[in-house]
Amino acid sequence: MATDLPKNAADATRTIDPGQEKQTLKFLFTPRDALAGELEKPNPHAKASTQQSDVIEALQERFGEQMLGLVEYAGEQTVYLDRAVIADACRFLKAEQGYGYLSDMGSVDRFTEADRFEVFYSLVNIERKKRLRLKVRVDEEDPVVPTITGIHRAATWHEREVWDMMGVRFEGHPDLRRMFLPEDFEYHPARKEFPTLGIPGSLPLPPNETDGSLQLDPFPRAHGDLPED
Amino acid sequence: MEPTTAAPPIDPQHSSPTPDEHVFTFWPRHNAALYQALQDKHTLVEIDDDPLESRMVLNLGPQHPATHGVLRAVLRLDGENIESCLLDIGYLHRGIEKFAEVKTYQEFMPYTDRTDYLGPYSNNVAWCLAVEKLAGIEVPERAQWIRTMLCELARIQSHLLWLGTLVMDAGALSVFLWTFKYREEIYSVMDEVAGARFTVSHCRIGGLASDLSETGTALIQKFVDDFDAQLKDWKKLLNRNRIWIDRSQGIGTLTADEALELGFTGPTLRACGIPHDIRVFEPYLKYDEVEFDVPMRTEGDALARYFVRVEEMEQSSRIIRQCLAKLETLHGPIRTDNAKAAYPSKDEVYYSMEGMIHDFLMTDTGVAPPKGAEAYHAIEAPKGELGFHLISDGTGSPWRMTINSPSFANLQGLEYLMEGAMVADTVVLIGSVDPVMGDADK
Repeated sequence: MATDLPKNAADATRTIDPGQEKQTLKFLFTPRDALAGELEKPNPHAKASTQQSDVIEALQERFGEQMLGLVEYAGEQTVYLDRAVIADACRFLKAEQGYGYLSDMGSVDRFTEADRFEVFYSLVNIERKKRLRLKVRVDEEDPVVPTITGIHRAATWHEREVWDMMGVRFEGHPDLRRMFLPEDFEYHPARKEFPTLGIPGSLPLPPNETDGSLQLDPFPRAHGDLPED
Repeated sequence: MEPTTAAPPIDPQHSSPTPDEHVFTFWPRHNAALYQALQDKHTLVEIDDDPLESRMVLNLGPQHPATHGVLRAVLRLDGENIESCLLDIGYLHRGIEKFAEVKTYQEFMPYTDRTDYLGPYSNNVAWCLAVEKLAGIEVPERAQWIRTMLCELARIQSHLLWLGTLVMDAGALSVFLWTFKYREEIYSVMDEVAGARFTVSHCRIGGLASDLSETGTALIQKFVDDFDAQLKDWKKLLNRNRIWIDRSQGIGTLTADEALELGFTGPTLRACGIPHDIRVFEPYLKYDEVEFDVPMRTEGDALARYFVRVEEMEQSSRIIRQCLAKLETLHGPIRTDNAKAAYPSKDEVYYSMEGMIHDFLMTDTGVAPPKGAEAYHAIEAPKGELGFHLISDGTGSPWRMTINSPSFANLQGLEYLMEGAMVADTVVLIGSVDPVMGDADK
């Protein structure tokens, strides 16, 4: 799992350097192998709050092999962890390092064969003015991450949102309903294979006339169900 | 009386809804799951012998005006007391995180106007800063000062609507009329500065669309002068008003630990004694060069949240004055002079071939941050921490964008605040955490 991740901070900055990686023309875009701004300069928007090597060392010491890697870009450090220890890591960071505030959480679809989904957590230490990002990766076949609602209650809605949008389930979540979409919906729209225009018939809408029937597809023309006139 | 069932029993394993379900109700499974989560066995009303002793489920919204948009609160009541509350959001869900994946970075910016539409300027700034961090683009000094100033104007704009509607929900109509007069003046400022009253979209990646005009500067100066005097009057009316204090004091009280645990952000968090403000936590733009205080209260109730926001408006006005003074002497470009990172000026576009080509390229592809780049940039929006998390795949549109919206974070805690409150306090509670559904529903 995640063998391509660097193990220490020195390697961390290198993997991201765009000059190192030759881009192939997979999409219809103008390939570019340097940053738009000046690459030699440090990022003008980098913050002191995202640099915390001591905490990352403590995590490394505590979790050893289960800390899978460290990536750095724009002065932000991201710690990759094995999903089995994510709850332990949050508990450790909250109890011993003062990261008691969960400010953000979300998910990424990498659209790869292995480790397809990523769930990230942004933890904040208000006293020391620090912000740390943790990440776990899960496979498409088994998209389950242990919940952290027992440690940060603020994760309750965020985990529901990730389940709704990306279809990653959280084991042990007290009330894992969908966040935005109705339970009757069967898809997870933030996944890459979900079409931007939606799936016809998946979300019926109220009728246009008083005694009309439900509209199964609000965009029939865009979906090719109505001929263009 | 026999209990009335809300929906026919539904087998959750059943793969697709039966035709019956669709004839009478929309999304029957959704409501069934919601009532089940409220632990009420699909029952809407249970009336025992004494109606006052009975428990009922009250659906407040999504069409209720006091819910500030399309917030639906499902309350389980014991008489007048709220036993438990679940919020059902998503009625304004447009999936703009998904839209971002098929737009260029600049093309997406008008969508941010429509998230927290009560102070759209700060959403534009948050988006531009996130993209600039991802692509490492520098912004000229003058543009940063103008952004700082207009962000603070957006904060006043948002807090004015909050003040007017909150106090109106509690029964005082006149404040609503006054605050809306001043909101209207901010619209006029935005009209002059950005060319649009409501959905401004004035920022550009790497700077701004246009510089401040003299009329714009004068309008802002006149606004802050009038506004400071006006705010004093409103404080005289409300700060010691017996009716207003009775409605808000001790309502929805939070301790500092609870607020942190529930993930509250912005003024709601600062009303509980935690001075967490992104402007100080990780300074962006020119917030480390202007003087301002972070208003804080320790009571944690609706009244404390009122005081924090009113004092924030005073501080915003103070910041705007400093920015105006600075902008008098600070001249220079308002967009970075790098055609690979920002739009060229219209002079270049109309009178030079290179300018036109670059303008075309910026519209067609725009900035393309390096493959694998990932960045999160947060600002202190009027309602709290607003952040955009961006991941690039090397193309002109993000691979994945997620919004960390303050209203979403605050609404989550509102469920907890409602428990144990009275029905009449719901409107004050909703108003005091100041949610905007466009922001929470994404």
